[in-house]
Amino acid sequence: MIGYVPGTSPLHRAHPYTTLALAGAVLLGAFALTRPLEVWLLVAAAAAFAAAGGVLRSSARTALLLSLPIWALLFVLHGLLGADPRTTVGPLSLSLPGMARALVLGGRITAIVLGFLTALATTSPHRLVEAMTARGVPFGRTFLLASTLTVLPRMRERAAQILEAQQCRGLRLGGSVLARLRALGPLALPLVLGALAEVDEQVLALDARGAASAARRTALDPPPDSRAQRLVRVALLVLVVAAYGWKFWKMRG
Amino acid sequence: MTALVALERVGFTYPGAARAALSDVSLELAAGEVLVVTGETGAGASTLLLVATGFAPRVVGGRLTGGRHIAARRCGVVFARPWTQLTGLCSTVQDEIAFGPASYGLPRQAVLDAAARAMRELRVEHLAGREPSQLSGGELQRVVVAAALALDPEVLALDDPAAELDPEAADALYDVLPAIAASGKAVVVATPDLERAARVATRAVKVEGGRIATSGAPAAVLEGTEPSLLARAAGCPPPWPLDVPALVGRVRR
Repeated sequence: MIGYVPGTSPLHRAHPYTTLALAGAVLLGAFALTRPLEVWLLVAAAAAFAAAGGVLRSSARTALLLSLPIWALLFVLHGLLGADPRTTVGPLSLSLPGMARALVLGGRITAIVLGFLTALATTSPHRLVEAMTARGVPFGRTFLLASTLTVLPRMRERAAQILEAQQCRGLRLGGSVLARLRALGPLALPLVLGALAEVDEQVLALDARGAASAARRTALDPPPDSRAQRLVRVALLVLVVAAYGWKFWKMRG
Repeated sequence: MTALVALERVGFTYPGAARAALSDVSLELAAGEVLVVTGETGAGASTLLLVATGFAPRVVGGRLTGGRHIAARRCGVVFARPWTQLTGLCSTVQDEIAFGPASYGLPRQAVLDAAARAMRELRVEHLAGREPSQLSGGELQRVVVAAALALDPEVLALDDPAAELDPEAADALYDVLPAIAASGKAVVVATPDLERAARVATRAVKVEGGRIATSGAPAAVLEGTEPSLLARAAGCPPPWPLDVPALVGRVRR
């Protein structure tokens, strides 16, 4: 599941900047941490973040699905083909530094994906737009960010409609891998061409409704912010800076 | 009466096109009228709308020749597919309709008042709290028209607005057009739906090959269509059928 899931969790109620700051801190923190234990603690923190949003199960499942192929690649590249010293597990000879590297890289990717899926699932695009509007962010930038957050659910919905239509016309989705790959054509082509054809109308419609206006937009229902949430955001920034300080201090040492 | 839009021997060519989409078009549009523009697919009716409302070439690009004077302070536009005209950023119908006035930075209360007025005009107040993506096509198209009207445009252009609607929803949509015109706006509709167009038009224009073929009273222009001529030749009594389905229905009766 990728996209906003309505709910009433603390993350859903939080100011969108707080939720995005949490996801951003996971992203930046992932690159600041260098040891497997540190990185997997970050994964645990991202999971706690998802649990607080009530989306742990769906976000973790999607994060695992997205990360698994990368884990497999990392295992082969670093675990099997990495440098000495090595250890033997059953029939496999594994590189110890390679496995540590694979755990760090795999953990980083998992934490980042989980963090962003959670932010996507708990941040209402409408509240984000209102929050950015209230801060005076130009509509072009707001639209770019918010439409990026909503593009996947919209494409998924459209793909489902096209699939239903194509199945009515005799498209078979089952069978061999080759047959499934062949079914991608009748799905992908209308999906992409349809989206492109609608872009022109949407541009005109947005322009007609003043999206290109130079005036500062009026925020109708800006989400409430609080001193505590601002403090959380500052604390996250301090943590990220501290993590990078720690990383560079260790590198110099 | 002062024309809100005046075109004097206007031509228009889309970017990259070898042939002009409009040639030698002269037309005036005044407040209080419902002008119906009809013609076969590709004849240039939709392009005429875009040129008359100023969206071509400003938004779509291309080359304009001849004289064009748009006295209207603001023009609204509605297309056939209502879902392409949603911002995708609003969680309620009210917010969707308020998007335009909010874009121009009006005070919050003025934005809400404008949205309420437009909802009243299109009789969609009962949908105010609904999520736009959950509405039927007919409801959504009325919301889209309300969203265009919330900006209080002096010219409202509708490009085949009932193409995706069922007959009841199409009737309901056409029924509100005379009231919109009566409120001092110019309404221009490009449509092949001649039966409904004849009910609301105060003037009609038929476009052929990018040129105005006939212009004048709706009865004279719309009833000069082939189905109408066929029915007359066959000795059918008036009112003459305006399109092929109506002709078939008349012959069956």
